[in-house]
Amino acid sequence: MLRASAVAEKAGVPSSSLVCEGFLGQAGTTSVGLGLPNLPVALVPGHVGTQGSEELAENILKVTLDDVVENLTVAPGAVAIAEDPAPRDVVFSGTIDEINRLFIENEWSDGLPIIPPTTERVEAFLGFTDRDPNEVLGILLPDSRAATVWSVAVNGVMAGCRPEYMPILIALIEAMADPDYGVEHSGNTPGGETLITINGPIAKQLRFNDEQGVLRDGFQPNTSVGRFWRLALRNLAGFLLHKNDKCTFGNTWRVVMAENEPVLDALGWTTLAEDLGVSKGSNAVSISRYTGSSLIASASGDTGDKILPYIADGVLKQNTWHLVFTIGPSPGTLRPLTIFSPIVAETLVKDGWTKESIQQYFFDHCRMPAWEFERYIGEWTEHPIRDLQDQVNLRRAPEDFAENDDPNRLVPITFTPEDFMIGVSGDPLRNHAITFAHNGLLGYPVAREIELPSDWDAKLKAAR
Amino acid sequence: MSNYQEIHDVVWPRATRQMELLETAPRLDTLDGKTVCQLWDFLFRGDEVFDLLEGGLKERYPGVNFISWKEFGSTHGSDEREILASLPAKMKSMGVDAVISGMGC
Repeated sequence: MLRASAVAEKAGVPSSSLVCEGFLGQAGTTSVGLGLPNLPVALVPGHVGTQGSEELAENILKVTLDDVVENLTVAPGAVAIAEDPAPRDVVFSGTIDEINRLFIENEWSDGLPIIPPTTERVEAFLGFTDRDPNEVLGILLPDSRAATVWSVAVNGVMAGCRPEYMPILIALIEAMADPDYGVEHSGNTPGGETLITINGPIAKQLRFNDEQGVLRDGFQPNTSVGRFWRLALRNLAGFLLHKNDKCTFGNTWRVVMAENEPVLDALGWTTLAEDLGVSKGSNAVSISRYTGSSLIASASGDTGDKILPYIADGVLKQNTWHLVFTIGPSPGTLRPLTIFSPIVAETLVKDGWTKESIQQYFFDHCRMPAWEFERYIGEWTEHPIRDLQDQVNLRRAPEDFAENDDPNRLVPITFTPEDFMIGVSGDPLRNHAITFAHNGLLGYPVAREIELPSDWDAKLKAAR
Repeated sequence: MSNYQEIHDVVWPRATRQMELLETAPRLDTLDGKTVCQLWDFLFRGDEVFDLLEGGLKERYPGVNFISWKEFGSTHGSDEREILASLPAKMKSMGVDAVISGMGC
């Protein structure tokens, strides 16, 4: 919405942006990143989502209207922007306690103690990449900050990563900067959190946990790389709570999930990274945003017919308002993720199931009545095009969403079977699965290969 | 092992801002006789809000004209980049004098 206003202003057309009361602060900080710190906004009192028609009309006509007129007819005052230090500037000298206090006071830290980013420590990280420290990996919204190899290393130090994780950290920021991922949405109100998946030999080399407790803190690489991601969102992109990060509730960063590749190899299954286009055997990170997850406990049985109905039921129930990413502002971008523990995947394979046939099963069985689907994409989420037939007519949905006009017809929750993502990790000998509620375009799955330095093996050996 | 009182020299942890600071567009002397376009992200009851604003502005400025959000499509979601890229040319061809963009909620 502000991005549209910025385009208008740059084209010489004055704009007024309609902003609900609780979002004025975010509008102010986002405007700075757009290069227009005095972008005018019109106040919409309260939140439109809780107002009846009369209250909304009174608010718009008595408050917003005046602001719109002023926005379009009165030149906004100038806003001063403080100048940032240069990337290698020493900004403070002090003890570890003093440094941590300073970093928290300046919103450079997540609230946990950080490792002081001294030049010496940063240089150690730079020793694990052949890339130029000044290389810009991407310009990240909302602050429009240039994420460089140097700034990645600084935040890797702070997060408690080891220097040899540096190739992974660079790949993560390249993925973050991929337009398909949509980092600019990372401060939205649902507050989804990124799940990072790691694939390839590097996971074992760096001792990532890929088995029991894979999503729990406790292993340095899984935990510290996960923490790095959120520090990067803070310091490289500019997402700060009560400013650009407007998650209503939010949740803590997720630790990195390593897939269990020996099991995948034995099953003959592709990895999540391969499913996103990375070649087999490559080191890679994958990222995607989810607002929640649900454990599907004790998926029991010795056949798919016994196991899959239960798991499909769990997958379906995890997707409610998220269906606006199937049919809504970004049609066809819902990619539900389900992780099987190894013993569940092995049981299914023994019964003749492949990853592709399970995806097809989910596509055929994770379905809901059309009337219920339409309630999620319309009445309950206030989107303007609420009828599935209208969506098909507008070519914003495949024809299977409106095969007939029976409100009880079952419609799929994704456009294609391949949209269901499936991975393998967790406790090898416990029959659970976990499914994640994906946030569509607001964190679309993206993978990046990890580029190792030329003398990786020798450097890694020395580091160990 | 680090001493508890050891002094560390720490570097700036943030990446450098890259955006160019821009001037806002010149404002209008009046909305009378001007063409205002509505840009909507298809969220948060913008259709109702635009109807209300259109009625209120027409009362104050009888000569103001509006181009509906329906002419532009959603400024949020899959179509955002394409729609925003085409916006300057489209505004020019439609003779747009001002923009109201919603909804940030």
